[in-house]
Amino acid sequence: MNGRIAVAALLAMGMAAGAWVHFHRGVPRSPPGPGMRVAAGEASAPSSGDFFPEIPKIPDRLPQFSLADRSGKTTSIASFAGKSLIINFWATWCAPCRSEIPLLQTLQAEWVGRGASVVGIAVDHRDEVLEFADRFKIGYPLLIGEQDALDAAAAFGVASPVFPFTVFTDRRGEVVALFIGELHKPQAELILSQVQKLNEGQIELPAARLAITQGLSALERST
Amino acid sequence: MKILLTATLLLFAGVASAKPWWMRGAVTNEDDFLPPDVAFRVAASADDNTIRVRWVIADGYYLYRHRMDVRAESPDLTTFAPAMPPGEVKVDPYFGSQEIHRQQVEATVRYTRLDAGAHPLQIKVTYQGCADAGLCYPPITKVIYPQRALPAPPAASHPFEGVAILAGVVAFLLAGLLLRKGRKLDLPAA
Repeated sequence: MNGRIAVAALLAMGMAAGAWVHFHRGVPRSPPGPGMRVAAGEASAPSSGDFFPEIPKIPDRLPQFSLADRSGKTTSIASFAGKSLIINFWATWCAPCRSEIPLLQTLQAEWVGRGASVVGIAVDHRDEVLEFADRFKIGYPLLIGEQDALDAAAAFGVASPVFPFTVFTDRRGEVVALFIGELHKPQAELILSQVQKLNEGQIELPAARLAITQGLSALERST
Repeated sequence: MKILLTATLLLFAGVASAKPWWMRGAVTNEDDFLPPDVAFRVAASADDNTIRVRWVIADGYYLYRHRMDVRAESPDLTTFAPAMPPGEVKVDPYFGSQEIHRQQVEATVRYTRLDAGAHPLQIKVTYQGCADAGLCYPPITKVIYPQRALPAPPAASHPFEGVAILAGVVAFLLAGLLLRKGRKLDLPAA
């Protein structure tokens, strides 16, 4: 009887393998989806062979790049060193990007006194961004670029960009989380509370990432 | 026997953890973000004076009508403005009312050629869309060759897919037979 069960289990495994091959055939090779909130550091070596040749890798540390600011001055992201960053990639033509700007304004106001800053990175035509930033009275720092801003997105592992996406770093420049799609306040506060604990030395990065991953899943289930 | 079962379970675990990183912890999410070429598929066909461009749009995704365009790419080709059915109206607090297309849409483009046949028929299509889940794709531009008839959907398949599915089905049946063979049928006493 045990032998039968074992053989049956092995055969069922064959079936599972068949199903696996079938369902992975058409699986998109892409960054995470809307609401697929990914804490950084979850990236793993591409283990699935040719199925996923373009798996992006979220860097562990803030990559270095420079873009023009609102005045046209080339500004390095390193000029924000020492602050926790909320780096928001957006474009003027993107409706969900526009929707989350009031939240980013609020976060800037609430967190600027706690050593954090929002940095908007507009991947768009400069004139349109400037006009838009004036109209919406964007109060946080903006960096603006086209191909160079796409290169910056790629440096975060988002090589085929979708907008918006937001990267959270702690004050030491460690990438804590990367959130794709429109950001909402509960998610932002959850991530920032973990960033703050990291900054205060209360927890280590793996624990922060785990708490973010679990917290975001819980938020997702509750909506 | 226990070792064999344990090994089997471990192998299962191996298969389960072979998921790409971006699917971990989010497997239950139904709004998986699709790569742009899967979310929005485009193909074109042509007869003697009209090119038809068809977009097939995944569920939960849409294209902005005013950002869809078809232009001539071959040097001897002249195209007229594409004709497209009206879209669904989407009201955005910032953009106002905009027309969008979901599911599928076809644009018809009348064309003339100066020296028919001297160049391959080539057009440039542009489109931009978003997902309801709250993200957008940058504008996409593609140069495509309209076919005489709409191409059949590509029959992409993994080389072992057929074998694996067949093996799976056979395994399923065999497993069922094996388990059934050892089963006693307990009928309630009459």
